[in-house]
Amino acid sequence: MTIAKRAIIILGAILLGVMTPMSVVLAQDTPMTDAQINQIKSSCVGAKTIMAQLHANDALLRVNRGQMYESMTTKLMSRFDDRVDSNHLNSKYLVSVDQDYNDALTSFRNDYQVYEESLSSALKIDCTKEPVSFYDAVADARTKRAQVHNDVVKLNQDIDQYKSTFESFVTGLLNFTGNSN
Amino acid sequence: MDENIKTEAVEAVQPALSFWDQHRYLLLIAIAIAIAMFLVSISMALYNSSGAAQLDLSRPGYSAVTSQAVKNDSDFANYPNTGTLDKAAIDEFRGLYDTQAAKAKAVDAFSGDPLDPAALEINAPATPAQQ
Repeated sequence: MTIAKRAIIILGAILLGVMTPMSVVLAQDTPMTDAQINQIKSSCVGAKTIMAQLHANDALLRVNRGQMYESMTTKLMSRFDDRVDSNHLNSKYLVSVDQDYNDALTSFRNDYQVYEESLSSALKIDCTKEPVSFYDAVADARTKRAQVHNDVVKLNQDIDQYKSTFESFVTGLLNFTGNSN
Repeated sequence: MDENIKTEAVEAVQPALSFWDQHRYLLLIAIAIAIAMFLVSISMALYNSSGAAQLDLSRPGYSAVTSQAVKNDSDFANYPNTGTLDKAAIDEFRGLYDTQAAKAKAVDAFSGDPLDPAALEINAPATPAQQ
């Protein structure tokens, strides 16, 4: 194979590598039409009113739900783990689920903060002057809100997981005390 | 004549004051304001970065929902973390846990898609071909 042929093959491979992601990006980033820009300009004031209400309602949800999720670990899970531990019983599975729950709670707090900042940024944009930026900011906030919901789902799963681990622990404990009696 | 002698005598006793000596109270106030502004800026940075701002329902824009915030969760009992772990203690925990778990899962928080462009009516208008 001559040097020229090799050069052509390498060039072709490079071009293919460059063009493939470009075509994907172009397919995803469909340019906004004038009709859509006009639609955003005409509807965005109403949209911002709805978003402002959502902003307040989600803040309330964050405070009330966050308090509930926090209490589940500080007032129940951790305290039961401590009690199991103080009775010299094996609490490692319970502690492990509690740890997972605390990690999910940390994600919930952080993701909510990111979402709130994103929604606040969207609300600050003058949508009649910057309709495209406004649309993008709303899309960003929408993605981040979905992430907060995923965190809530994970927290609920961990609450169930802790319950099933607790029941397994109780079964084991009753079997042990039953056998020892 | 006597007056001139008196003035010269006073000037001889009192050393000449510098600019900052003459304005030391203004300097004191300016430094106090600068320190206060510095400390407030640190407080605000911590307030925003720690996530406390997101939990502060006394901010403008939240007045409609402030009254709905749960201020007292005394109905959420603390499980005692000491004592023997007998059947009564286990049943007590199970009762508390089931009650609170049901409350925690009762609301599917942050569900739905209220920021959907279609819901906000900021999506592309339907073209005749799409209709």
